[in-house]
Amino acid sequence: MSPEVPPPSRRALLRAGACGLIGAAAGGCGFMPAKKPDTKQLAPVEARVDGDLVYFNWADFVDPSVFKGFEKEYGVKVVQSNFDSMEGMAAKLNAGNRYDIIFPTAKWAQRLARGGRLRRIDHSQLSHSQDIFGAYPYFADPWYDPGSAHTVPFTAYKTGIGWRRDRIGELTDSWRDLWSDRASGKVFLLDDRDEVLGMGALALGLDVSTGDTGDLDRITSLLGTLRPRLRGFSSDSYNNLLNGNALIQQAWSGDMAAMLYQAKDPSVFGFEAPEEGTPINTDCYAIPWNAPHPGTAMLFIDYMLRPENVKKNIEYIGYPMPVAGSEKTYADLVEPFPECMVTQDDLKAGLFFRNGGSAAEDARDTAWTHVKAG
Amino acid sequence: MALLRPSSRTRRRDANGTRIWTWLMLPGTLWMTGFLIASLVLVAVLAVGTTDELGNPRFGFDLAGIRALADPAYTEVLARSLGYALLTCVICLLIAYPVAYTIALYGGRYKHALIAAIVVPFFANYLVRMYGWSVVLSDDGPVLSALRAIGLADAGTRILNSGFGVVAGLVYGFVVFMIIPLYAALERLDVSLIEAGRDLYGGPVRTFFFVTLPATRQGAAAGLVLVFLPAMGDFVSAQLMGGPDQIMIGNLIQDKFFQGQNWPLGSALTMLLMLVLLVGMLGYLRRTRKDEAEALR
Repeated sequence: MSPEVPPPSRRALLRAGACGLIGAAAGGCGFMPAKKPDTKQLAPVEARVDGDLVYFNWADFVDPSVFKGFEKEYGVKVVQSNFDSMEGMAAKLNAGNRYDIIFPTAKWAQRLARGGRLRRIDHSQLSHSQDIFGAYPYFADPWYDPGSAHTVPFTAYKTGIGWRRDRIGELTDSWRDLWSDRASGKVFLLDDRDEVLGMGALALGLDVSTGDTGDLDRITSLLGTLRPRLRGFSSDSYNNLLNGNALIQQAWSGDMAAMLYQAKDPSVFGFEAPEEGTPINTDCYAIPWNAPHPGTAMLFIDYMLRPENVKKNIEYIGYPMPVAGSEKTYADLVEPFPECMVTQDDLKAGLFFRNGGSAAEDARDTAWTHVKAG
Repeated sequence: MALLRPSSRTRRRDANGTRIWTWLMLPGTLWMTGFLIASLVLVAVLAVGTTDELGNPRFGFDLAGIRALADPAYTEVLARSLGYALLTCVICLLIAYPVAYTIALYGGRYKHALIAAIVVPFFANYLVRMYGWSVVLSDDGPVLSALRAIGLADAGTRILNSGFGVVAGLVYGFVVFMIIPLYAALERLDVSLIEAGRDLYGGPVRTFFFVTLPATRQGAAAGLVLVFLPAMGDFVSAQLMGGPDQIMIGNLIQDKFFQGQNWPLGSALTMLLMLVLLVGMLGYLRRTRKDEAEALR
C-alpha cells in the first residue's frame, strides 16, 4: 500500500457500512428474504427415527418424564428450546431457525400453513389418531387447517373469569361480572389484544374477531367504562389471584387448573365461563417445512398421543386435550372448576380468534391502543 | 534532498502508526455498524414499511405508521413517560448525592467495599428484581401485611399499580447509574477546595452550594443522562408496578412489535422516542462542551 492513500477513517467506514445496509434493505422487498419451500419439503413423511428431536414450545408444557420415556424408547435426544409468544416463535422461524416440532395456536397454524411453512402430516402414520379425529369430529376439518392436513391438536382451552370466592362471594356467569362493584379497583384483564377485544365483543354480542371499525368503537367505549375499575392488564392470572392483587381476573382455563397445585385451599377461588360465550383456542402440533428430522417429529406426536402420556401431560400442565379417554383425567383434575372443561359444543360455537386482513388487523391494533392507553 | 529524507521517513512512520490504530478500531467499528447503526437503519426503514396479510413486516414506502403517531393517545403516553423519567432523575439525584458524598469523603478504607455493596445487587437481572418487588409489595404480601398488623395501613392501602409504584421501580432500577458517576466526581474532588471555602467564612451549606456542587456538576450531568435514557424507554416497571393509567411509551412500543404485529408503527414510535432522547442528549453535550471550554480558559 502506498503511503499516500490514507487509511479509511472511522466515519468513512460507518458511512460505507450504513450505505451498504440501506442498499441491501432496499434490494429485497421482504424483511426476511424467505426461501420458497419446494413440494418435497411439504410432503408427508414416514414416522421413523431420522435424528434427534429439536423441540420448540412454551416453557414447561410437557411432562419431563414423557421426554425421558421418548428418549429411552427411540434412542434419540430431545433438544429443547422455548418461545414466550407466538410472535417470537414466528420470528425465529422466519429467521431460518430449524425445528422439528412446534406448537402454534389455531390462528398461527393457519398463518403458517397458508404461508407454506408447514409439512403435511399423514394421520395414518399415527396409531392413536382416531382418538382425536374420530372422537372429536370438529378437528377432522377445522377452520384453521382444512382436513387438519398440517396439524394435530395438542390442547384446547377457553378464556373465562377467575375470582376470589372468599372475598366477593358468587358471580352471575356473565362478562358483566368484571364490572362488579364488589371488586372495583381489583380487576385485571389479560394483557392480550385478542382476549380483551374478544371479551368486549362477547359482552356486546359481537363476533370475537371483529375488524369492523363500528364494532370496535362500541367495544372501545364499553371497555372505557371498565377502565376506571381496572387495576391493570396482566396475564399472570393465578399469581394475581393468589397474592390478593386481583379479586376478579380474566383468565385462561389452563392457568386456573395449574393454580390448583399452588393454592392451599382451592375452594376460595372460582372460575366461570360466561354464558355470552367464551373464546376457544387450540395449540397444535406442527412440523415446519425445513425441519431437519421430520420422521422423529412424527414419532414424537405418535408417542405423545399414547393414552398414558396424554394423562401425564394433562396432569402436568393443566390444559385439557381433545383425546378420547382423557376427559375423565381432566374432569378429576379440575373438579373445583368444572367450567374449565371444553366440550364438543364449545368447539363448534365459532369462538376462535381468526386472522383478519391487514385493514382489520390495523383497526384492532388501534382499538387495543385506545383500550390500553385510555 | 539529504535534508528532506529523514523528515519524510518520520512522516511515514507517523502514517504507519496512525494506520495501525485505525485498523485496531476496526472490530469496534464493525460492531457499532453491525449492531447499532444497522439496527437503527432497519428501524428507520421499517417505520415507512408495511405489514403483509400474515403480519410479517415488509419493506416499502407507506406513511401509515408515521401518520398513526398523530393519535393523541401516543402524545399523552409520551408526555407521561417524560414526566416519570424526569421525576426519576430528580429523586435519583437526591438519593445518590448523599450516598456518593458519604462514601467518597468519609468511606476511608471501606470505600471500595461500600461501592461494591451498592453495585453487586445490580448484577442480578433487572426484570427478576422487579418481579421480586411486585411479589413483596403485593396486597397480601409481607410489606402490606406487616403495615396492616401495626395499624399503618388499612384494607384499601396499596402500593402496586400506582404512579408511585412505577416511579419507585424506576428509581430503584437506575439509581446506581447516578451513584457511580457522582462518586467518581466526588472522589476526584480536591478536598482543599472545601477547606478554602470554609476559610473564606462559608458555612457548610454555602460551601456545599458554591464549591462542592459546582465542582461535581459534570458527574451529576452524566448521572442524569444515564438515568434519564433508560428510564424514558423502560417498560418493565410500568408492566409490573403500574396499572392502566401508568402505561409508558415502552409498553406501547413493545405491544406494537408483539401483539399488534404492527412493526411499522412500532418503528415510528421508536423513532419518536429517540428524537425526544436526542434532545436530552444534545442538551448534555452542549453543557459538557461549555464546561470543557471554561476549563481550558
